Parts: sequence; structure tokens; C-alpha cells
Amino acid sequence: MTNRKIHAFLSRSIITTLVITLSLSCSIIHFSNAAASTSSSAHTNNWAVLVCTSRFWFNYRHMANTLSLYRTVKRLGIPDERIILMLADDMACNARNKYPAQVFNNENHKLNLYGDNVEVDYRGYEVTVENFLRVLTGRHENAVPRSKRLLSDEGSHILLYMTGHGGDEFLKFQDNEELQSHDLADAVKQMKEKRRFKELLIMVDTCQAATLFSQLHSPGVLAIGSSMKGENSYSHHLDSDVGVSVVDRFTFYTLAFFERLNMYDNASLSSLFSSFNPNLLLSTAYYRTDLYQEQVEKVPVTNFFGSVMKTIHTSSAYRAISGKYGSSVKSDDVNAQRITSSDPEKLADNADIKVMKGGGCPHADLWNAIVEKFQGIKNADGIVNYGLVGMLALLAVSTWQSS
Amino acid sequence: MARSLSFFVLLLFVLHVSSESTGEVAEQLEGEEFTEELLLRPLPDRKVLSHFHFESKVPPTNSYGHHHRIFPKAIYQLVHKYRIKEMELSFTQGRWNYDSWGGFDPIASSNAKPPGVELWAVFDVPPDQVDASWKNLTHTLSGLFCASINFLESSTAYCAPDWSFSSRSGNLRYGSLPREAVCTENLTPWLKLLPCRDKAGLSLLMDRPSIYNGFYHSQRLHLTSDEFDPVALHGIVLEQTLTIVLQPDALDTRASFSSSRKLQPSWSMSSLFGKMVDGKCALAKSSNVYVQIEGSLVHNMKDTWNNIEGYDGEIAQEVPYEGFGSNSNFKFSIAPDRVMKETNSFHKDGYSVLYGFAINHYHGSKPFDLGFWWNLPVTWSCVKAPLRVSRFLMGSGNEKGAIALSLQSTEWSQSILKAGKNEEKCNLRVDVFQVVPWYIKVYYHTTKIFVDGMPQALEDIIEKMSVSPSEDKVSPGVMELILRLPCDMKSASLTLEFDKGFLHIDEYPPDANQGFDIPSAIISYPDFQTRLQYKEDNASIQSPMVSKMQERRTVLSYTEVLLVPLTTPDFSMPYNVITITCTVFALYFGSLLNALRRRVNEEERLLKSKDKRTGKLQLLLSKFLSKVRGKPWEPPSSTPPSSSSKFISSKVILKILLVAAIAFGWRYYDG
Repeated sequence: MTNRKIHAFLSRSIITTLVITLSLSCSIIHFSNAAASTSSSAHTNNWAVLVCTSRFWFNYRHMANTLSLYRTVKRLGIPDERIILMLADDMACNARNKYPAQVFNNENHKLNLYGDNVEVDYRGYEVTVENFLRVLTGRHENAVPRSKRLLSDEGSHILLYMTGHGGDEFLKFQDNEELQSHDLADAVKQMKEKRRFKELLIMVDTCQAATLFSQLHSPGVLAIGSSMKGENSYSHHLDSDVGVSVVDRFTFYTLAFFERLNMYDNASLSSLFSSFNPNLLLSTAYYRTDLYQEQVEKVPVTNFFGSVMKTIHTSSAYRAISGKYGSSVKSDDVNAQRITSSDPEKLADNADIKVMKGGGCPHADLWNAIVEKFQGIKNADGIVNYGLVGMLALLAVSTWQSS
Repeated sequence: MARSLSFFVLLLFVLHVSSESTGEVAEQLEGEEFTEELLLRPLPDRKVLSHFHFESKVPPTNSYGHHHRIFPKAIYQLVHKYRIKEMELSFTQGRWNYDSWGGFDPIASSNAKPPGVELWAVFDVPPDQVDASWKNLTHTLSGLFCASINFLESSTAYCAPDWSFSSRSGNLRYGSLPREAVCTENLTPWLKLLPCRDKAGLSLLMDRPSIYNGFYHSQRLHLTSDEFDPVALHGIVLEQTLTIVLQPDALDTRASFSSSRKLQPSWSMSSLFGKMVDGKCALAKSSNVYVQIEGSLVHNMKDTWNNIEGYDGEIAQEVPYEGFGSNSNFKFSIAPDRVMKETNSFHKDGYSVLYGFAINHYHGSKPFDLGFWWNLPVTWSCVKAPLRVSRFLMGSGNEKGAIALSLQSTEWSQSILKAGKNEEKCNLRVDVFQVVPWYIKVYYHTTKIFVDGMPQALEDIIEKMSVSPSEDKVSPGVMELILRLPCDMKSASLTLEFDKGFLHIDEYPPDANQGFDIPSAIISYPDFQTRLQYKEDNASIQSPMVSKMQERRTVLSYTEVLLVPLTTPDFSMPYNVITITCTVFALYFGSLLNALRRRVNEEERLLKSKDKRTGKLQLLLSKFLSKVRGKPWEPPSSTPPSSSSKFISSKVILKILLVAAIAFGWRYYDG
């Protein structure tokens, strides 16, 4: 009986040690991950993916929409190499265009959207659902040049603007194939898992745009659609010189909002949302903010539509950077810097990460504390060696007991 | 304080001096070279040809190193990464009019390009790696020039010509995209390769709306390198040309003639481009503008002059300078710096003249704006290609057809051939190179040749022929021919029959209804060399463009792009069929089932029984039932519930009660 009890005790203790070591290793891995994400998850860069999905001359306005947004984000500071512009057809040099190499979004023709420096990354037949999803998820052939890739990282804010003809949970590409809301949500999910963005703003100007967001579940995603389910999105006005409608209502009023801004304005996203008037739009603009952690009242629009970088002064620039890429040895440095920096956004990030930690491993918090204590111990190698020897002893005892 | 200030001033001075001296050094440096040139030529159909020519040179890497001041890094890296020996990329919109803009001069032979994108490249790699290099090159170029050149990557889109295209075959690949759009986004990266971009020098003239408003424009990039030869001499030479044909808005011509509409439109650089040149690009070694007057025009001007004023020997002698006379046919707003006369003209009675203008001493406050004014009406015609070539489709329907290539002799070629070769058997050599996509299945054994409408035996005409038939979804069909046509023929034609193939449903482009393109065929005349030899007034001035014109080149021309309508599936048809079939089935089976299952008596009986059993109990029961079944509860409707559902309901309740009782009992006794 006693023998059996001792045996049970020993086996139990072995199991607990194993569990402890396993969870310890789990937490160490987790901790290093958390440290890596902490140090680089600040907003570091901006990207924009602007897609016009419609072919044929009578869809001139969709290209004008996209080019207007292109102009706006360039004006607000996103450089050309961080903009992926997809245009499904050539309108500027189209034989039907009375104004060659020019595209207008207003009948006053004051602004040529197709100026001297347009960089179109995907055009014509290249604008397909496949290429679009490849750009988002970053799964390209090896030969594809850098200018055609979305090289964003976990500190990126991405603006994804799409316009074209759509319907309930789909968007047509080139009148030939469809992008479904599931495809979009799946791509966004992959992006999140591959840490390709920190925050993503999806803006869609199409009929029943709101339905395209219904499958999104990834955190950090904000969505704006031009119309609710069952509603159409209408064009704004017809240019009788060009012969077709030149801009859509939703984009027109979005631009009207942005034309008043420059790079340094602090207009918030909620002010953009409230600027849409259903009576002028002839549809109800839709915003989905439940996946977005921050308050839209406090987030400036330039977080997505511009590229305004905060410069943080550090006394030892190189050490901070080496901490970002180095092993966990430097993580103390990074932590210290994080705490001392008075940036509210960074603190918010910190809280964010805590939540993530709690969600990942059930005992992570506890074990993080233990690991932190272990960090303090100087002779860590010795302890590890002792532990290994102890485990061998336990193993020997247990085998003896069972035999 | 004063000391520090003076020190600062000294420092500034030193910096200034050093920067000036480095600038001079850069200019003096022999290694890299950049030249910019513009050629303007009035065309017979009241249009103006503008031809920009930019050339950048860099010495070989092993003598000069990797660092460059002027030469574009992107091109240097491209050459080294893919080991390119020679490459040509052209973006063209519109079609060169060989009849009225000339088919024989160097510009027509080397700068008239097929519509869309054409790319060929020669690689200095082992033959088995050429295809991989080509694929990577197309992707890189598509990123560099914002175009879908990467569609040339697929093996169905490019080919390796055997011998006709160039002597360096084997490592040469050729591909073209006839429907590629050409617009600003292609021109801008091309301009970014220039050291001054479009900010200074002649490239300042490139106002996008006026360029793309033209009848024809072709932007070309030609690259030659001997970097990988054992003894590199020249390094990399990058030649960028832009050829535009514009219609000048009629300037206010000071025409004394009543028939001013017959007068050619006068033009100036500002009226053509809407811009002026503020001096040269500071990095350019030379920066020149030329105006070319064709030989036949010079000849005809003499005629008109003679008709009006009577014969005057002196003026006729001094044709090159006649532009300045008060009563000449035309005049310039600026006096030319030099005049060059052609020395070996094909025309017996006229030689072309080149007026040169240096723009070194112009600047922002004194911009260069060359004007060209016509005083007298004159008509002339360009030197045409030896044969007038056109290609067209024959047959109708969606199953089969034929490609026909028609070659018609021009008056000029007849005269020159007769004059040149008076032997008993004279013939004209014509090389044909044609690529046909795989879905046009050409039967090469059906080749027929007609001379002056009479069918001819193939062996009489075809000297050499090499054909690689297309393979479905793998490679295009390539045909290379050398024809020997009799000199005295009026017209010849070559026909090939084909079947139209079917594409997979995924392979149809979004606008399949528009038809599919067969790229241009290349027709060349190796017997004829285009060459304009100018005798320069001052030989010290070296001009890459003029020396390019003096090079011997084979005369070649491109045919039209053919548009073949293929059978395109009606993509909405499956949907329509499914919908209609389903409707028919639903109607049929629905009514059948209804007729079979309906029992009128039963229904009436149920209706009666239902009337009895209304009340609270039933409401409660149905609510409970809905809970049990996990369905949203709906109040019992007035229609009678089917007997089967009622049957189930009582049984289910009984079962549930039984299970509950057993469970309760178990707990009670066991626990």
C-alpha cells in the first residue's frame, strides 16, 4: 500500500515537473514573441492599396474615384512606392477621351488627376481577384518586382480603397469575376496572422458596400462603405464634355472633406464619418468600428490617409534599435524605454499587448512573472544544469518504483 | 565674433570654389556621356514629325568601376543582373503611315514600331538559362515601366527567332503585346532615366497632353552592352528615343497668298508642345535641335520658286541657305548655327538638308522657341518603302479563315530597281517574320503565293523558309521566310489558311468580345540600306543622332495588327439555362405532387376537428413544442396543422416525460 502511494506521489510529481517545464518553455517563447511585438507594433509606416475594378469607358468615374484618392493620399504624404494603384482600364489615353493623358473628377476641369507623375502598378488585364489577393497576402512569384508588392509590416497602417460595381457580398472585377466578402475577410485574416498590418481601413464605394464587410473578424480593421444593403451608390454628376459621369457621390463628398485638410490637421475619423450626409449621398454611409480598439473620435484621418510620422527622441538610438532585432537579452532596455516614453499611444499599445498575452497561454501572466524573476538570477546555467540532473534522478526513481 | 564671421565667409568661399571646380571636373570627365537632340521634320500631310534622341554612355565596369554620375542605376543593374547584350523595348500608340510619312529613311526603319509593346533582348547566358532570364527581365521591366510586360513571360507569348530577326539568334527572345495601352505612366519612368528628367533641357518640351494628342507616338529604349565580352570597349550605351507625329495648329501665317489653305501650316516649338526650352540640360555634353528638309521637298521648292520668279541659277545653287532669303519658301525664327547637306541621295534631283541649332546659350529669361514659317505653298512626297505592305484576314465565320499578306510595288521602287539592275534576271529579296498565337492554328502547308494574280510554285519564290508550328497552350507559331520576287511584278500576295482554336473558359480576357490580336509581321528588305550621309560644315561637332542616321540599316516595316474574332462563349448562358430548367422542373413536379397528394375530404375533416380544439392548451403546447424542437415559435395559424405533426407532438412529449421520470428515479435510488 505504502509502496503504491509513494509510486503515485512520485509519478504525480514527475508529471507536475514536466508540466512546469513545458509551460515554462511555452511562456518563454511567448514572452520573447511578446517582446518582439511590443518593440515594433508602434505605428511606423503607411501604405495604400487603391483599386479600380471596372473596365470600359462608361466606368470612367471609377477610375476618377481611384485617382482622386491617389492624389489625396499622395498630397497627405504617402510616397509612390507605398501606394499600390490598380486600374482596370486605360481611360487617360483611351481613344474616346477627348482630353488625352488627362482624367478629371469634376466638370470644371480644374484638376488633372492624371498628372505627370502617376505610377500605376497593376493595370488592364492584370487587375484580377487573384492579383488583388496576392497583393494583400503577399504571396507573389519570386520574379515580381518590389514596386508591385505590398511590403507592409506589423507597424503599418493600410488604407484599402476599392470602387467598382458590386452587390450583396460581392464586388465585380472587370465585369468578369467577383470578389466575395468571404474572400476579403479571409485575406484580411491572413494579413493579420502574417503581421502585415497594425490597422487597416477598408473603404469601398460600390452598391451595397456594407455587405462586403459582413464576414470580417480580424481585430484592428475599420470599414467604411458607401451604402447599406439594398441601397445603390450613385454617381455625382455628368460631364457633358467627357460624355460620362466623372465621379461617384460617396467619393466626391469624401474628397470634399479632404480638400480642406493638409498633412498637419488633426481632423478625426469620426468627423469624416459625420461629414457624410445621407441626403446628399442618396445612400447611407456605413461604418464598422466594432473590430477597432481605439476610439474613432481620437484617431486623426492622417493615420490612414496620410503619412505623418512621430519622431521620438532617444539618447541611445542604436541600442534601442538593436533591442528591437536582438534577442531577449535586450528586452529590458526596450521595456524601460517603453515605460519612460510619455506617448499615450504607446501606452495604449502596451495595454493592448497585455490583453493579447492573457489571451494566448492560460498561465502566461503567472509564468511571465516567474520568468522575470529568473531573469534576475545570475547563475541561470547552473540552475538549469541542476534541474536536469534532478530530473534524471527522478526518472531513475520512478523506473525503480514501477519495476 | 568678427573673426568667426570672417572664418565663416572664408569657409563659404572655399566651399563655393570647390563645388565649382568639381562641376568642371564632372564636365571634363571623359567617361560618361549624355547627349540630347531633337529632330523636327515637316511631313507632306501637314503634320510635323518630332524625334527626340537621348543617349547615355558608360565605359566598361572593369575600367571605370561601379559608380556613375549620369548613367541610370536601374539600367546598369538590369544589364548586370540579366547579362543583357542588347535589348530594345518600345511603347507605341498609333500606326506609322508608311505612305505619307516615309518608309525608307532611318527614322521610319528604326523608330516606326508596331502598336503596343515590343520587346526583344539578347542575353549573354548559356542557352538553357535564356528563358529564365527572359521571364525575370519581363517582370523587372513591368515594374520599371508600369506596364503589363510580364504577360510576355508565358511561353505562349514570346518566341526565339531562328535567323531572320538578327544574326545573334539562339540567345534572342522576341515578344510583343499589341493591345498594351501606352500612356503617361509609361513615359514618366522613361523620363526618369534621363539625368535631367523632364526638368531641364529638351525633355522640358514633353507636355503630356500635347504628346498624347498626336497621331503617332513611339517611345523606345535601346540598350547595347559589351560588358561581358572578354575585351569590353564601349561599355553600355543607352539610347532613348521618342518619335511623335503632331498636327500643328495653324499659326498666324503671314500669307500673302489668297490660297492660304494650300499653304502648309507654320509651326513653332511652343505651338507644337505648348512649352519652350529654357536652355540645355546642364549634364548634357551636347544639346542640339535639327530641322530636316527632305530631298524631294528641296527639289520641289526649287520648282515652285522657278515657276513663280522664273529661273534664277544663283538661288537654286544656294538651296541650303535659301531659308534666309526674304522671298524663300520658308524661314526660321532663329538663324541656324550650321547646315548639313546630304551627299549620297537616292533621289537624283534632290538632297535633304539638315539645319542645326545649338541651344547652349539659351536660358530661362531667353528661352529657345524655334519657329518655322512657310511663305509659299509647296507639295511633296516622302521616299516610300520598296514595297507597300498590308496584311489582312480572309474568310468568314468562326471556324476558319486565312491570313493574306499583300506586297505592292511602289513607283519609286520600280524606277530604282530598273535603274539599278538592268540584268536579265533581277529580283527583290523580302524577308518576312511573323508570330501567330497558338489559338490561330495556321496550316503552313497551305501557303500559296500569287504574283500579279497568278499562282506561283513555292520553290520559285521562296528561297528559305523555317517554320515552327504552334503547340496548344505552349508556344506560338513562328514563320520566317525569304522571298525572291521578280522586279517587274506589280503585286504579290501570300496566303495561309488557319483554323480558330478554343480557349479554356478561364483564359478568355474580360473583353473577349472585342477579338484577339495577331501581332504585326516584320517585313524587311536586305537589298536596301537606309543611310543618310551628311557632309558636315564643321566636323568637330559630334552628334549621336546624325551618326545613327549615317549607319547602314536594313529597310524594314511593320504590318498592321490583325484582329481575329474568336468564338466567345456567352458567359451568362449557363446561368440562364440553369434558371430556366429549374423553373420548368419546379412547375412540373410541384403541380404533379400537388395533384397526387391532395385529399379534399381529409382536409375538410381536419378543418372541423381543428375548430373544436382551439384554446389555451393548444397554444401552450405548441409553444413548448417549438422550444423542444429548437425552432422559433409562431402562433398557430388558421390553416389546419397537418395530422402527422400532431401525431409526432404527442409522442415526443410522452417520450420526454418518460426519460425525465427514469432519470429522476435513477438519481433518487442510486444517489
